[in-house]
Amino acid sequence: MNDQLLAAVSQYGAPALFGIVTIAAIGLPLPITLLLMVAGSMISQGVMDPWWAMAAAGAGAILGDQAGYAIGRWGGPDIVTKLSGLFGKRVNLRAMEAKAKAWGGPGIFITRWLLTPLGPWINLASGTAGYPWRRFLFWDILGEITGAVVFISLGRLFSDRVMALCAVLGDLTWAIAALLVALILGYQLLAYVRRARVK
Amino acid sequence: MLAIAGTIVFASRADRQARRIRTENEPILGWMSVPFIAHTHHVPASLLFDAIGVQPQAPHDRRSLRRIAHDLNRPVPELIAQLQRAISAAAHPPGGQPQ
Repeated sequence: MNDQLLAAVSQYGAPALFGIVTIAAIGLPLPITLLLMVAGSMISQGVMDPWWAMAAAGAGAILGDQAGYAIGRWGGPDIVTKLSGLFGKRVNLRAMEAKAKAWGGPGIFITRWLLTPLGPWINLASGTAGYPWRRFLFWDILGEITGAVVFISLGRLFSDRVMALCAVLGDLTWAIAALLVALILGYQLLAYVRRARVK
Repeated sequence: MLAIAGTIVFASRADRQARRIRTENEPILGWMSVPFIAHTHHVPASLLFDAIGVQPQAPHDRRSLRRIAHDLNRPVPELIAQLQRAISAAAHPPGGQPQ
């Protein structure tokens, strides 16, 4: 299916990009990073308008995120559980709600463009947890525009190497995520040792 | 320890992939259009259209290889092999300087 989506973006441009990004933001796992970089490559080849591409990617992602938030907010936990099962991933809603509350706005921002697999689940959890909509919208717009600009620009810069670059970014994202976990756990361990010494 | 190991493993994989970017060409896949393949391999699109015996439908014929193969009733791997031969020939012309 990924091949067909990539072919659709390559052939139909921004409208196809908008539709696919919207569906992915609701929760279907699709190769959005690669699609954005392919769009960037097409811009550098002069077959796609940069502003249309940015607008399609940004607007599609924000629309999908808002739909996810609305489902969580007004659909309730039952619909969220059904939806997560439909997308082949039964999500632990309480754990996600706890993450959404703990991470707050920066968590919403970072899951728009860096830890993207968590994005749809954070949308649902933000809705069920009753996270204020205006704040959600602010961080969502900021994160999605950042993502669109970063990945489309990378595609433009490395227009003849998008597949290889996507593989590098995939590994780099996991390396950054693992490093963040190591730093947080290391900090907590250090704090624990200090507390134990004081006692 | 697991998080540190993960950081090292993924960082080294990213480093290996990044080194490969400089030396290896992009693969040719069924979703790619002929102009896209021409761009990633630094050859004229007209040369690749000629190689597979296709007259471009528009100034920017963005049909995927899979679609072209379907229209021509030919297998995709056959088209990919023809394109690879054309790219290789363009990079190493007989008796000429490589591009």
